[in-house]
Amino acid sequence: MRNIKRIVAATAAVATLVGLAACGSSSNDSSANKGDADKAELVFWGWDSGNSMKQIIANFEKANPGITVKFNNTGTAEKTSTALSNAIAAGNGAPDVVMLEDPTVTQFAVTDGLVDLSEFGADKLADDFAAGPWNKLQYNNKPYALPIDSGPEMFFYNKAVFDKAGVDGESIKTWDDYYEAAKKIRATGSYITNLAGTSGDYQPFTAQIWQAGAQPWKVDGEKITINMTKDAGMQRYIKFVQKLIDEDLVDTKTPNWSDDWNRELNDGTIASLTIGAWMPINLMTGAPDQAGNWRVAQLPQWEEGQQVSAEDGGSALAVVKLSKNQAAAYKFVEYMTHGDGAQEMADTGTFPSLKKILQSDSFTDPTTEGNKKTNDYFGGQNVNEVLAEAAQRPTEKFQYLPYNPYAQSTYGDEVSKAYTKEITLEQALTNYGKKLAEQGEQQGYTVTVK
Amino acid sequence: MSAATTSAQSLREQERAARRAEKERQKRIARDEAAERRRAEKAGFANVNNPRRSVALTFLCAIFAVYCLFPFVYLMINATKTQADFTSTFGLGFGRTFALWDNIVTVFTYQDGIFGRWFINTILYVVVGAGGATLLAIMGGYALAKFRFPGRKLVFAIIIGAISVPGIALAVPQFLLFAKLGLTNTPWAMIIPSLVSTFGLYLMWIFSEQAVPTELLEAARVDGASEWRTFWTISLPLLAPGIVTTALFSIVATWNNYFLPLIMLKDANWYPLTIGLNQWKDQASTAGGQAIQNLVITGSLITIIPLIIAFLCLQKYWQSGLAAGAVKE
Amino acid sequence: MSASSATTAGVTGPDVRHSATARVNKHKADWRGWKFMWPFALVFIFVFIIPICYAIYISFFKKQMIGGTKFVGFENYARLLGDTQFWSSVGRVALFTCVQVPIMLFLAAMMALALDSMKLHGTKFFRISTFLPYAVPAVVSTLIWGFVYGAKYGLVGSLNDVLGTNLDLFAPNILLASIGNIVTWEFTGYNMLIFYSSLSTIPHSLYEAASIDGASEWQIVKSIKLPELKGSLAITVIFSIIGSFQLFNEPSILQNMVPGNAITTYYTPNMYAYNLSFSGNQSNYAAALAITMAVITMAIAYAVQLNSMKEQMK
Repeated sequence: MRNIKRIVAATAAVATLVGLAACGSSSNDSSANKGDADKAELVFWGWDSGNSMKQIIANFEKANPGITVKFNNTGTAEKTSTALSNAIAAGNGAPDVVMLEDPTVTQFAVTDGLVDLSEFGADKLADDFAAGPWNKLQYNNKPYALPIDSGPEMFFYNKAVFDKAGVDGESIKTWDDYYEAAKKIRATGSYITNLAGTSGDYQPFTAQIWQAGAQPWKVDGEKITINMTKDAGMQRYIKFVQKLIDEDLVDTKTPNWSDDWNRELNDGTIASLTIGAWMPINLMTGAPDQAGNWRVAQLPQWEEGQQVSAEDGGSALAVVKLSKNQAAAYKFVEYMTHGDGAQEMADTGTFPSLKKILQSDSFTDPTTEGNKKTNDYFGGQNVNEVLAEAAQRPTEKFQYLPYNPYAQSTYGDEVSKAYTKEITLEQALTNYGKKLAEQGEQQGYTVTVK
Repeated sequence: MSAATTSAQSLREQERAARRAEKERQKRIARDEAAERRRAEKAGFANVNNPRRSVALTFLCAIFAVYCLFPFVYLMINATKTQADFTSTFGLGFGRTFALWDNIVTVFTYQDGIFGRWFINTILYVVVGAGGATLLAIMGGYALAKFRFPGRKLVFAIIIGAISVPGIALAVPQFLLFAKLGLTNTPWAMIIPSLVSTFGLYLMWIFSEQAVPTELLEAARVDGASEWRTFWTISLPLLAPGIVTTALFSIVATWNNYFLPLIMLKDANWYPLTIGLNQWKDQASTAGGQAIQNLVITGSLITIIPLIIAFLCLQKYWQSGLAAGAVKE
Repeated sequence: MSASSATTAGVTGPDVRHSATARVNKHKADWRGWKFMWPFALVFIFVFIIPICYAIYISFFKKQMIGGTKFVGFENYARLLGDTQFWSSVGRVALFTCVQVPIMLFLAAMMALALDSMKLHGTKFFRISTFLPYAVPAVVSTLIWGFVYGAKYGLVGSLNDVLGTNLDLFAPNILLASIGNIVTWEFTGYNMLIFYSSLSTIPHSLYEAASIDGASEWQIVKSIKLPELKGSLAITVIFSIIGSFQLFNEPSILQNMVPGNAITTYYTPNMYAYNLSFSGNQSNYAAALAITMAVITMAIAYAVQLNSMKEQMK
């Protein structure tokens, strides 16, 4: 008798489990889900750093009277992709359109969560976008998302601090120049930059090795080769950064995106950053005291005379496979990334990846309100001109791991030990490579570690 | 048959006698206590009527109070700063401009005034969720205390077992279950999990045991009142102080609930304050995002104020409410 | 018998034996209680039991990006046994529990005794100021303490400047204590209130009788108040152990402020489960981890409870 409650509970649980198990495997035929391209109620998950989404969506709805878009601000890239994988696991509640950080797109493409956009002809748009962001969004040579913003890696520096140290920021063309400048700046008490090896440094890390031509991992179907330290590009990177650490030329105690980081940018302790082109707005609000002092320049090169760029951050819009309105969803994606919406996004401060906008006069027009504000902060420099140049530079092909979120979150576990000087960077990256290999095997890949 | 009737009758008589004896005893105790208190007062011993205060002990407690309160000082000082002052001036010093009013206004107008919406959501969740949790805990605790029903002894073990499972790992199954039923992204996803207050159940269990005399219930049953009616008209009023305490714990738990709504809600229009504020905080660490820590700090302060008011209002109940929780036989 | 038996019974539920109703319906199952119990039970099953069953169920499977989902029996549990990251995180929360819980409960008990002594000026003020931190969401309190700890711009930094010291509360070997301080700050008041209320149920006549018998203040504390606290101690210990083993909010928010790998993604079992589940695409393994943690936590909670019961039997 007293087991009744247990029995009741167990019965209820089993009944629900059957229901849950059933729902996991129900919705996989995507071809039937195109829906009506002109009539749909779309749900769109993403974040809204410029606070401009509402207006742009209203304009889209005006241009496409049959379609309504409900925008859910899901906060951050990490929260959005977590929410998406939950919704995909549940088999319902997923949005039609989702904003993802570029490196996470592959994971969802591999696990069949996103629609191959070449079904809608997106592959033909390749030449309209800058190469950097476009390349990151391909899986099996098919686009699974279109870039909505991008982040070519830039060299931001505080001219006031550089002047004090007797360094001309303009003349830093190579990483060797950068190293010499680092020594002079350290002599004044500041640091040329901060590197702490935390997970917040993962994206700048990938950008820098990307620029160095490194291939720390190669994905070929179900095979992954990890070559974290013997690759020539990696060797170049490791030697360089190890030197900065050993000679105390970088601040290894301040993680990116911490409050301390903002404060050090604000008081000149950190004199420069190599980070994505979206950084100006973060600097303007995070380091307001340095208004007029910051400048932006092209990324230092590994070899003199080169003009290689790399990507840091950037996000894209994708159509979710569970959507029943895929055609209309694509229409919205196209509008936001390639159509009129892209221009509006750029006008409100998002860094564009569409060549047409990068090359347009209005983008670099110093008299527009937005540009004027930014340029004032950067001492009158025409910021967008510099950024646009970087965005159109060639980039090497670079591929993220299909389980990039794991690679990003565990980066700090292993690599930061090099920055606290427990072990060398080479050892740390070797350990990191092992972790990545283990994860690959857990996910069913055949992994070779070199 | 007749034997059963007889024994039931004699039982009832016994009970009546016991009740009379108990009443007598209570009266005697009250009389004695009053007399003793008068005597003690004359003797100069510390009690409610004659507290003897110690400066040294007060000082020690004051140190602890400073430890408890100084983070609030930090919060209040920083709520008066602009974003620029927040990043550039010392944490426990005032900024160059006094921007408290500006900050409050901006908190309520930023992103089309969504903070107000979050505030109302939170109040909805607290009223329905914490209110419901309190009701369920009262009923459950009452049942556990006053009825020997099958399965009763398992309840505590099951509850301790269930809350030992890390909530993080349950979040996904909970999400799947709610998604299956189409409840995610609705207020129900926030309210239903809030309805369970295990601590409240435990509290009401003990409290009912002490505050509701079984004899009173038996008398009502003899008069032919239904269990339901007995509960509402006789037991509930007796439980009032315990209810207030349970409600307080549920309110705080719901008000500060973070992890579950984070998983369950994707529509900012249904966010509670904690999620909304955290989203604002994240904005500073998002590529291309505007740092608005001044709004996060001011918003946090505004979030805490209603709870402080609730505490102050309910303070007088705490003592008597939790009191029965450990009362002696 | 009186004080200790009642409060000990409180841990497993109020004592059945002395109650009148227990006699009345001895031989017949009495289902009336479910009339009041079912709403709680229903929601509890829905919110806890079913998800737990589901977690147990999926812990026997493995989902891979390549190859999909397959049944693997106890493989996840076997892997967990040899997972050094997991056991290091368990060791860390165990250490945390052993140190932080006693300190917090000691402070809470002292504060409760002080408030109950009627020797304070402004008892009401102290009562609310001790309890107030519990009202602050963990997100906000960690933010505040993060500022306090900051070695460069925070309060500790300013102290270092003034005193010429080089204190760093984010240093890896001190960090756990720094987190312990945040948790202590947040929950001392909560536990204090539980102690305080059990103290305030002692009839004043008892003290008065004792004082007439010539007992000193200290003797009253020792022989009347402390035994009374033992009972509520059992329940606060159990809830605190469960809470510490699930440590998550404080370290994961601090993670962003702390340099180096002082707070790894496997710093506590809960953080590890979170990372496995949400970044690592290994929710099956995370479920096995959670179930194992629940078993460990329960075992410890019950062991502690048994221990405290034995003590009171003396």
